[in-house]
Formats: sequence, structure tokens, C-alpha cells
Amino acid sequence: MSCKKTSPTWAVAAGLAWALGAAPGCDEHDRHAFPAPPASVAAETVTVEPRTQLLPTFPCSSRCHSARESQPDKRLLTEFHTFRNTEFHHGDPAGWCYQCHSQKNIDRLVIASGELVTFDEAYLLCGGCHGDKLRDWRLAVHGKTMGHWTGNKIRRSCTGCHNPHNPTFPHLVPEAPPVRPEHGERM
Amino acid sequence: MKNDGCTPRACPSSEAPVAGATAERGAPLLQLGRRPPDRRAILGASVAAVAAAATGSGCGNHRFDAHYKELTDEDKRRIFERIEAETRARTGVDVKISAPQPMDGVEFAYALDLSLCNGNRRCAEACARENNLPDVPKFRYIQVLEMDRGTLDFENANAYYEHDEVPVPGKVYLPVQCQHCANPPCVKVCPVTATWREPDGLVVVDYNWCIGCRYCIAACPYFGRRFNFHEPTVRPRDINPDQGYISNRLRPVGVVEKCTFCLQRTRVGRYPACLEACPTGARKFGNLGDPNGEVRIMLERKRVYVLKEELGTLPRFYYFYG
Repeated sequence: MSCKKTSPTWAVAAGLAWALGAAPGCDEHDRHAFPAPPASVAAETVTVEPRTQLLPTFPCSSRCHSARESQPDKRLLTEFHTFRNTEFHHGDPAGWCYQCHSQKNIDRLVIASGELVTFDEAYLLCGGCHGDKLRDWRLAVHGKTMGHWTGNKIRRSCTGCHNPHNPTFPHLVPEAPPVRPEHGERM
Repeated sequence: MKNDGCTPRACPSSEAPVAGATAERGAPLLQLGRRPPDRRAILGASVAAVAAAATGSGCGNHRFDAHYKELTDEDKRRIFERIEAETRARTGVDVKISAPQPMDGVEFAYALDLSLCNGNRRCAEACARENNLPDVPKFRYIQVLEMDRGTLDFENANAYYEHDEVPVPGKVYLPVQCQHCANPPCVKVCPVTATWREPDGLVVVDYNWCIGCRYCIAACPYFGRRFNFHEPTVRPRDINPDQGYISNRLRPVGVVEKCTFCLQRTRVGRYPACLEACPTGARKFGNLGDPNGEVRIMLERKRVYVLKEELGTLPRFYYFYG
């Protein structure tokens, strides 16, 4: 877009035209064009926020699971991970640990292809079912992005916001409301 | 009110500022004409004051600072230093005033995912801390409207809800702040051009130039502006020392203020404070000129909604359903 002058007033119309596949030209309609992105914006690096170091009991294999055999059968958990019995609300209620966690290597997750991925790459596992969300997340339309809008962006992974065992976003206590304007004040 | 040591070199028309400053301090006006202070004398002093402001000397009281757009780098340096010194004397906090310039090829836009917002107001509080909003009187740039699900009825929306937990079933939440319109009605009505739209799309206010007439507040269809009816008081420990001259510096009483998309952050590449504070990730911010930016992708792929589209204000704040 090397148009000589652009007017932001028409950027919405240009966006519509863009969405419909009509490339804005540089003739008399050049005011419909977007400004060209500056060089500083062109180079963009996206880092996914790592999760592994935030897990309190990682690595699972050396902390606990080295001392016990993995039991693939479904059962009521009585010693550890007891939240699974009551607080697990994700997908099929018949689901079980090894649907997502790898039985061979408890420090990894297993995706649909059978490949093992780290907890930092959990989005690959989540995207196995929630492909639309993974697509939007990759485009930064879903999920939280931090860092700098000019380039170095930090993308929060799925499990940074959603508890994978109970993924509905938790309810929050709202901040206090503003004070109503006094009589006669419109603020 | 004291003169900050303006030199004759800085004040080319040395007569005018002195006369204006005298009038400002309420000192006798007799020296103007050796007469009792009648209307003519007061008028003369006023004219002198206006002349002083128009010359852009930047001396003395802030009322004699030139309009932001007319300030030279030297004027800015002097004014920023004066404000920093005044703030230090008044609050004991060392602040840094800056005025980052718009980047070429950048037009800012904001997007908010209405399907994610749960009305927790973290954005409004983070905004208040970043932008030095007073707790007394407590007002916020971001107003989170609570409405019945399926209505989007602004007439009956509640911005003052108090709940133990949000979201409340059957309610939807819609945060409203300055929409940074491309065709801003508030800018049109300002009689002194104290508010204007910057090249990167930010609608800003020159607090030193604002006369407090509040026409812009009446003109804004989004309730995006606030007025300092009282002296705004910010606790010194809450003051954000990273301050922009036309954004989040401490405001005087009697001027209009508003969201500036955290100009002091966004013009140096950072995200606005409200975006960083949002726990749900509902807020998106970026450059409308970047075809790969999140805002453009959102515009092209999602169902987008702008507030009061029929008014033709062309907001740069888009609501969408992700």
C-alpha cells in the first residue's frame, strides 16, 4: 500500500472492502486504504508463556510417580488427585487421566497422534478437540496476549487461564463500583 | 502562581506576560492606566493575558502555556520540568513527564470480546492506577454496563452493580470507555480546540488549554469523558510516576479528562493497562494498519459490533463475539 495519503476516517469501509476480497486501489479511492505498517511492526515474535515451571509438583515422575506403578484402570482415587472424583468437569465424564496424560511418561501429555508433548505445549492437546479455539488463539483473537504490540508478544497458553480439569472460567469477585455522581453533576 | 524564572529570551514580548501575571495574582491593576480598575482596565489585562498565552512563552502559570500543538521541544522541556518540580513540591513524588509522538503508519484500535467479558472491573481499577485517577471523587474511565442477557438495552443498563461473584446468570457485561472515534463529535464542539484527534487516532485533551465548558461531555454519545468538579486527590503512594503530558499526568480541577488508550504506554510499544489487567483475555489492542495484527484479523473474521453505529462517529473500539 504505497498510496500517497490515507485517511483514517475511511478505515472501517476499507476493512469491509478488505473482508470482501476487494483490494483497495491507489486511485481516487486511496483514502480507503490502510496505512502501511511501520518497519517496527513487521517483525513479530510470539512467545508462549511457559507453564511447566509453575506446576508445584513437577516433575511428576521423580516427585511421586517413580515410587509407584501406573494403574490404567479407572477407580475412585483415595490418596492423591482426589479432586478428580468430584471436581473433574471436562468433556466425557467417563474420561480418565491417561486420556491426556501419557502413561509411559507421566511428565508428558499425549495428543491424538500418539505423540508426546510437554506441559508447555498443552495447546496442541487442547486443540485436538477445540480446533476453532486453537485457530483463534494462534491468531491472537482468543486468549490473552501480553508484552508489546509492536513485536515481542507473549501469548498465554490455554492452561494459563483454564483449569484443564475444570475448564469453565472461574467466577470472580468484582471490584467496587464507581461512586454515583452527586446531584447535579454529570461528571 | 509563582513565576518559574522566565528569562527575557524565553519571553520575547516581556510586557505582556508581566501584565497578565499581575492580573492573575490579583495585584493592583492601577499601573496599567493609573486609574481605578474599571472594566476597560480589566479588559486590557485580559487582552494582555491572551497575548501572553498566544505568544507561547510558556512562562509562569500554566495558564500562559501555549497549546500543545504549538509547543517547541524547548517549550516542552521547560514545561515538563516545571510540572515535575511542582508535583515534587506538592506530593513528594518524583515523576517523569513525557510526550511520546505518534508512530508513522500506526492507527490504534481496540477490540473487546463480549463473549468473554465477565464484568469483574479489573480493567477499570488498573486504568485508575495507571492514569492517576482519584479515589475521591471516585470516577472511572471504564464503565462496565450490566444488562439482561439478550437485550443490549443501554437505557436500563446498570454500571453500579455490586455482587459477590460475577458473572451473574442471565446478565451480560459491556465495558464502555472512550471509543476514539474517527469522526469525534466531542472534538467538533470544543470552542477552544483543547481536544483533538492525533494522527494515530487517539483523541486527547490538552489539560492546560481546556476551559472546562464541558461541551464535549454533552456531545459524547458514549459517556467517555469525565470532569474534575473537585480537586482530584491521589494518594502519593498511588501516583504512577510515568506520566504523559496529554494523557495521565495529574490533572487540575476544572478540566475534562478521558481514556487515551494509555498513550504513554502504547506509543512506546506497550499494551494499555486495561488489557494487561483483564483476566479473561477479552481485550485486544493493536495497529489497524498491520494486516496481521489481532485487530485486523478480528475485523475480518468475527461478528463485529460498534456502539451507536447510526450516529456516524466511526468508533475505533470494536466489540465482537469470539
